[in-house]
Amino acid sequence: MSGWLEHLIFGILAASSVASSFLVVTRRNPIYSALFLIVMFSMVAGIFMLLDATFLGFMQLLVYAGAIMVLYLFVIMLINPRDDSLPEEGGFTEKTFAVGVALLVFSLLAFGISNSETVSTLAEAGTIPDLPEVAQTHGAIEAFGYELFHKHLLVFEVASILILVGIIGAVHIAMKNKPAPVELGANDEERLVNDV
Amino acid sequence: MFSLPVLLYLSALLFSIGIYGVLARRNILVVLMSLELMLNAVNIALVGFGRVHALSTTSGEHSGQIFTLMVLAVAAAEAAIGLSLLLLIWRKWKTIDLRELCRLSG
Repeated sequence: MSGWLEHLIFGILAASSVASSFLVVTRRNPIYSALFLIVMFSMVAGIFMLLDATFLGFMQLLVYAGAIMVLYLFVIMLINPRDDSLPEEGGFTEKTFAVGVALLVFSLLAFGISNSETVSTLAEAGTIPDLPEVAQTHGAIEAFGYELFHKHLLVFEVASILILVGIIGAVHIAMKNKPAPVELGANDEERLVNDV
Repeated sequence: MFSLPVLLYLSALLFSIGIYGVLARRNILVVLMSLELMLNAVNIALVGFGRVHALSTTSGEHSGQIFTLMVLAVAAAEAAIGLSLLLLIWRKWKTIDLRELCRLSG
């Protein structure tokens, strides 16, 4: 692919991923947040593919934009919050605090990136060069799978155990036929009002 | 190809937007989504580093991408657990407002 086309596609993907992630955190209705999050995940999948991580790009689409977001949408539909039951969002002080912390983190990260010797050495060429002939299979599913199952087999198994534990935990936590839920008594009601 | 710092700045920007979402929002659903956003931002950095690292090896190395795959697995487990906790909270207290869960602090 020619250089300027790649730059153009990357620019579009980066800009729309930033814009849609901004919309995710600012929309009041969680359904809009979820839909913009799907857009954001798809854009990031595109960035992965530009970086020769084709398999990961498809995984991103399948797992994130597919499975996880369907889970989110199911939960949103299940609890179906009406407009009046949506939480009151924080006021000006809270938002300013959050913006301040986010800016602080971003500036720290940017400071680290711009001062890192490793990054500047890696970036000396200006742009990431194309892969050498011997590494052309980088990111292809065969090469990726070969390395995953030869060099990193243990990690793979640990991940499978993690997901198994996650499934069992999720089923147990969300199970319906457990001891009756705690009813909100008058005392609790009062404490709730006082606490908030 | 675009340069590595551009990618890292993009990743840092998305990460900070996620931090804003986690801190400023009171809707648990949106807070969980912001967490996913932050994980994804880290994934971008990992894949970028892995892509640059592949240049210096002879046969192409995938450590960065395998890291990313593991982050993906963690994100899937986190989403499942987080959403089931959210369902539990909704069933017990009929709220998805983080501020109303102050009583969890005892």
